[in-house]
Amino acid sequence: MRAYIAYLRSTLRLTLRDRMVLFFGYVFPIALFALFANSFRAEQSTGAITQVICMVLVLGILGNGFFGGGMRATMEREAGILRRFKVAPITPAPILVASMVTGWMVFLPSIFLFLLIGHLKYGMAWPRNLLSLLLFMTVGVVAFRSVGLIVASVVNSMAESQVIIQLLYLPMLMLSGATIPLTVLPDWVQQISQFLPATHLVLGMQSMIVRGESLWVNLAPLGALALTTVLSLFVSVKLFRWEKEEKVRTTAKLWILAVMAPFIVIGIYQLKSKENLARAKTLERELRRSSTYLIRDIRIFPGDGRVIESGALLVRNGRIEEIYDSNVPDAKDVKASAIDAAGKTAMPGLVDTDVRFLPGNIPRELAAYLYCGVTLIRASGVPPDVLSKLSAGELLGPDVVTGVAGAPASLVRANASPELLSRSLVQQVVPKEELDEWRGMTAAWKPSPLPGDFAAHHPPSIGTASGLPPLIIHGPLIHREMLLWAKAGVPLKDILIAATTGGAKVLGRDTVLRKLGEASLVVVEGNPLEDIAATERIFLVMLKGERISRQELFEDFDKKK
Amino acid sequence: MSAVISVRNLHKSYDDFEAVRGIDFEVESGEVFGLLGPNGAGKTTTVEILEGLRPRSAGEVSVLDFDPATETMQVKDRIGVSLQATNLPEKMRVEEAVELFSAFYSRNTDTRKLLQRLQLWEKRTAQYSTLSGGQKQRLALALAMVNDPQILFLDEPTTGLDPQVRLEIHNLILELKAAKTTILLTTHYIEEAERLCDRVAIIDEGRIIAMGTPRDLQERVLGHARVEVVCARPVDSTNGCPVPNLVISDDRCRLSCSAERPARAVADLVRWIDQQGNDLEDLHIKRPTLEDVFIELTGKSLRD
Repeated sequence: MRAYIAYLRSTLRLTLRDRMVLFFGYVFPIALFALFANSFRAEQSTGAITQVICMVLVLGILGNGFFGGGMRATMEREAGILRRFKVAPITPAPILVASMVTGWMVFLPSIFLFLLIGHLKYGMAWPRNLLSLLLFMTVGVVAFRSVGLIVASVVNSMAESQVIIQLLYLPMLMLSGATIPLTVLPDWVQQISQFLPATHLVLGMQSMIVRGESLWVNLAPLGALALTTVLSLFVSVKLFRWEKEEKVRTTAKLWILAVMAPFIVIGIYQLKSKENLARAKTLERELRRSSTYLIRDIRIFPGDGRVIESGALLVRNGRIEEIYDSNVPDAKDVKASAIDAAGKTAMPGLVDTDVRFLPGNIPRELAAYLYCGVTLIRASGVPPDVLSKLSAGELLGPDVVTGVAGAPASLVRANASPELLSRSLVQQVVPKEELDEWRGMTAAWKPSPLPGDFAAHHPPSIGTASGLPPLIIHGPLIHREMLLWAKAGVPLKDILIAATTGGAKVLGRDTVLRKLGEASLVVVEGNPLEDIAATERIFLVMLKGERISRQELFEDFDKKK
Repeated sequence: MSAVISVRNLHKSYDDFEAVRGIDFEVESGEVFGLLGPNGAGKTTTVEILEGLRPRSAGEVSVLDFDPATETMQVKDRIGVSLQATNLPEKMRVEEAVELFSAFYSRNTDTRKLLQRLQLWEKRTAQYSTLSGGQKQRLALALAMVNDPQILFLDEPTTGLDPQVRLEIHNLILELKAAKTTILLTTHYIEEAERLCDRVAIIDEGRIIAMGTPRDLQERVLGHARVEVVCARPVDSTNGCPVPNLVISDDRCRLSCSAERPARAVADLVRWIDQQGNDLEDLHIKRPTLEDVFIELTGKSLRD
């Protein structure tokens, strides 16, 4: 025990005297942090700042393990330093343990440093499960340190250790989600990444920081990291060499694979279950929902009957932080990215209270609603797994209240006409080849006249009965319905209320745009209060604070064909 | 006096190379024992087996009644070792190194006394990289002595040091010798072995080819000292000279002989030259060195 403490003290002292440690452990990460925080506009998004913090911390852990642990151990052997310890009555254990503990002690302050900077300067929330996070990071640091030591124990020269370390370091840096988000990588790369310990480290860390997850949710990666540590320590003691003259056989390098075994198991499991990829998507969703936007110079139709002719909306972390009708602040002062929306109108997301899905490509059809500005639907026929993916954010689509609306009562259904297909939203949403089929089918449709007394007796909400044959078009029918309501003489303001907050009310929701309300809204060109067709010219759809990239909504579905 | 190290029929092979081919010796308590031989003779291999750093291929070895191969930790805990080439982390301070190594042993000496004795007390806060070669070697000795060792192993303690520093280290070892420290040292410097060791084993190609006190060895191998005189004028003949086996140089000015009692031979020779009416110009008595012994035994020089 005395030997352990003495060796640890000595290693710690020497490490602190090493300027390289200070540089690579602190100066370099802080510089990177500043650089990335700046280029990611981290002050405008707690998601971005979290990403940057995770990036520098993972960079730190990898560097600490591979260079601080692996390279250093190789160097000490090469320089004949370990040789001197060989004649003392000690085993390699104090030396290995000291390396791990030192790595941890040197790294620990940087966790607090970056969390503190994130908290104070970028308004990032303090992680809810700080203890879990620290424990997880501890195991992470020690695990990567031990992988570094394994590298040191299977190489015969500095040059060799450089090669092996780069072979491990670079993929773990680039493919783990630490630097490039996993979700933007090609599928096969994402699958490879599941075999890298760093991927699990990154995912666990992000989940704990962003979602406040506890250790219990991350037991698998935690266990794998811990197992790798134990295996590495065991193998390192076995293969430990005090002198460079002692060589190991080339086959000993296979031990690296052996200590990574827990991650090979996890990787294979993930190939089957895809749990992690789903988690990565969910995380990504949360990160995207955490941005700050200032939508300014805009007409606001909150959905409660009022109209603010020129105001601004401040959206932060998925909520409407403030609605301004005057004294709009500077975007910089509220740390938001500005969206200039002169001549446009913001209103709550559209609500369709009658959607009926048939088995088919339901995820794509859900995406189509979002594309058309619909953020809430009542629907039947959505399978439970789709519902849970939707609520986890793994799939993008409107909020779904499951239920059946009763008898279809939409004008768009009663007046189905070929003209429907000429609407631009329909053309954007329906795949081209299907559109041609539709043209053939709808040619025979004869619209029946609008009911004369509709304006007096229109329902409080809009349910299009989309999906009920023959109208198996999902998404844009609500706009057509609003147009028909207008033709039937319903006041435009009433139509807009029915299509938004009125529908929500029927479903037991309140979607009025107000302070601290959920930031699910749609911004359209022009003024729908004067021309209802304006709702079809969608400028922006925001769901729970995420600015939906409408062009990308169908990418996943359409490229597979 | 009992043997603290005993080695019997020690063999060590590396793959197909036999580095040590049957070595026997014993070291008594309080003795300075030297293994003298050229590089690659098997000296370091032998001491490293004794220190418990390497397994042996065959033979019996005991160090302080422990077997270094199986009771490694017991041996390591009781001995002190200064390796042929060691290094310490650049930024480690002298006293830190001593403290660190002290922590590994069950017995410790007083750090301050140790550093003072090795003239390192003033340098105790200096970092390793700032030490001179001599200071580094003294520190290596200090580290070998932190546990007040029962045997001190010094592997080539002065190799690569300049003469001044070598002298310094020699004096240190002589001090230890005076304090009755048991020391096993290896060297390929003749003077070192002659000066420091009570007994020396000459080792070559994995075998001990001679063993004894330096003086014993010199005498046993070459027998006697040589007496040489230089005369002012050539001598005509050696007839009547009382000294037997006289060798005369080509210019007939130099006379030399091997003598069991060199003082007597000198007296006889000088008297005889005087009787011849010649004058004495110079006179030497040459004792054979271990170098001569080594050359005699192996037919090659110790130094490359």
